[in-house]
Amino acid sequence: MEPIIRIENIHKYFGEVHALRGVSLDIQPGEVVIVIGPSGSGKSTLLRCINRLEEYDEGEITVDGIPLDTAANINAVRTEVGMVFQQFNLFSHMTVLDNINLAQRLIRKRSRAECHRNSLALLERVGIPEKAQSYPLQLSGGQQQRVAIARALAMNPKIMLFDEPTSALDPEMIKEVLDVMLDLAKEGMTMVVVSHEMGFARAAAHRVILMADGEIVEQGPPDQVFENPQHERTKAFLSHIL
Amino acid sequence: MQSKSRIVGDAPEKVLSKVPGARPEDRIDAWWGLFLGVVVLVVVLIIFWPDPYRRILEFVADGILITIVVTVVSFVLVVIVGLLGGLARTARNRYSRGFVSLYVEIIRGIPLLVQLIFWYYALPPVIQGLGELLGIQALATFAPDPIIMAIVGLTIGYGAYMTEVVRAGIQSVPKGQIEAARSLGLTYRMAMQHVVLPQAFRTILPAIGNEFITLLKDSSLVSVVAVADMTRRGREFMSMTFIPFQTWIMVALLYLILTLFSARVVSWLEKKAQVGR
Repeated sequence: MEPIIRIENIHKYFGEVHALRGVSLDIQPGEVVIVIGPSGSGKSTLLRCINRLEEYDEGEITVDGIPLDTAANINAVRTEVGMVFQQFNLFSHMTVLDNINLAQRLIRKRSRAECHRNSLALLERVGIPEKAQSYPLQLSGGQQQRVAIARALAMNPKIMLFDEPTSALDPEMIKEVLDVMLDLAKEGMTMVVVSHEMGFARAAAHRVILMADGEIVEQGPPDQVFENPQHERTKAFLSHIL
Repeated sequence: MQSKSRIVGDAPEKVLSKVPGARPEDRIDAWWGLFLGVVVLVVVLIIFWPDPYRRILEFVADGILITIVVTVVSFVLVVIVGLLGGLARTARNRYSRGFVSLYVEIIRGIPLLVQLIFWYYALPPVIQGLGELLGIQALATFAPDPIIMAIVGLTIGYGAYMTEVVRAGIQSVPKGQIEAARSLGLTYRMAMQHVVLPQAFRTILPAIGNEFITLLKDSSLVSVVAVADMTRRGREFMSMTFIPFQTWIMVALLYLILTLFSARVVSWLEKKAQVGR
C-alpha cells in the first residue's frame, strides 16, 4: 500500500544544534504511530515538520501524495492534517462552538447552520455538548483538550497529529482525553502521537518509534519494543519511564 | 491547568484591588464624580459670572468643534496607520519591517510641534517649486488648508506611536494561537484577521484609549499652524480683552470635560471587551 506520509532523509538545524539527523519514515493509512524518546530527541520537531509548522533544512516530506514544497501545497496538506497541541491553543476570544466553526466556515466554506450541526455533533462525540457556549478559560484542561480535538476533527482530516496531548493535564483528566483518542484509533484514523502514555501505546499503537539525538533508534510493535528492546538507548529510556 | 490560568487571569485585578480607587468599579465612580464636578463648575461660572465666562465660551465655541473634528479625524487615520504599520513591523518581509522601523524611529525622535510646522510651512513651498519646475499647474499653485495639513501632521506623528502599540499587541498573542490557526489550514491573513488581531486589540485597548486622550490634548499644538482650535481661539480672546486668567481657566476646564468624558468612554469599552476572560 502507498504510504500516506512519506518522510525522506529530513535534516533540521536550530542554529548550531542538529535537531533531526536524516530521519526517514513511512506511515500507512490507518496506522497509529507512537513516538517516544527523551526530551530534546527531536520527536516534537519531527511531528511539526509533517504539517510544516517547522521548516526543515534538507529532505522531503509527502503527505497524501502532496509534496510539502509550495505555500499552496503546504496549506492544502494542513487542511487534511489535524493537529493537537500540548498547550491546547484554543482561541481564547471565541466560544467553544466558534472555535470549532472557524476553519470549517473559512476553509471548507460550509454554511453557518451546517457548521453548527457539525460542531455540536463533534462536541457530543468528545462528551461535552453542554460547553458549546463557554469560553476556553472557563473549561478544565481535559475539556479544553477535548475541544481542541473536536476543532481539528471539524476539518474531516485524514491524519491527526498529537504533540504530547496529555503532558499539560492533571492526572485525573488524562483518561478522558486518551479515551477520545482511543475511539479515534479504533475508527481507523491515521495518527502520529508524541506521548509517553504506555497504556495508550499498548492499547492503540500499531508501531512504537523511539527517537534519540535526532534519529530513529528503534521501531516495532509495542509489545516488541517495550518487552524486548534491542538497543541500549531504548533500554535506558524505558527503564526511566516504566 | 485551569487553576493556573485562573491565577494568571486574575493577577492584575488582585494587584489593583490593593490600590485605592484603582479597581474598575471604584475608578468609574470617581471619574463620574470628577466629570460632573467640572461640568457643574463650568455651568455655575457661566450663569453667575456671564461676563467674562459666557463671553469666553461663546467666543471659543467654534474652536471646540474644530478641536473635536481634528482629533477624531486624526485618530481614525492614526488607527489605520497603526494597524498597517504594526502588521508590517511583525511581517516576515524584512523590507517592509525595515521601512516601518525607520518611519517609527525618525518620527518619534522629532518633536510633534516641529513636525506640524514642517508640514504647514516648509512642505508647501517645496511642492510649489516642484510644480513650477515640472510645469504642473495644480502643484505650482498649491495652497495648504491648515486643518488638512494639521490632520496630516498629527496622523503621521501619532501613527508612529500607534504602530508600536499595535506591534506590542500582536506580539503579546501567544505563538501557539497562530500555530493552531495555521495548522487548521488558515492563511496568514485569515489567522491575523480572525485570531491574532481580535486578541491583540483587547490587550491594547487601554493603550489605544490613552493615545486618543493624549492626541486630544496634543491637538492644541495645531493652534500654531493657523488652525482656529480651542487654544487658538483662547489666545485670540486674551489678546482682545487682556483677561488671561479667566480665559485660560475656561479653556482648561473645557479640555478637562473632553478628556474626562473620553476616559469614561474608554473604560466602558474596556469593560465590554473583557467577555470570555
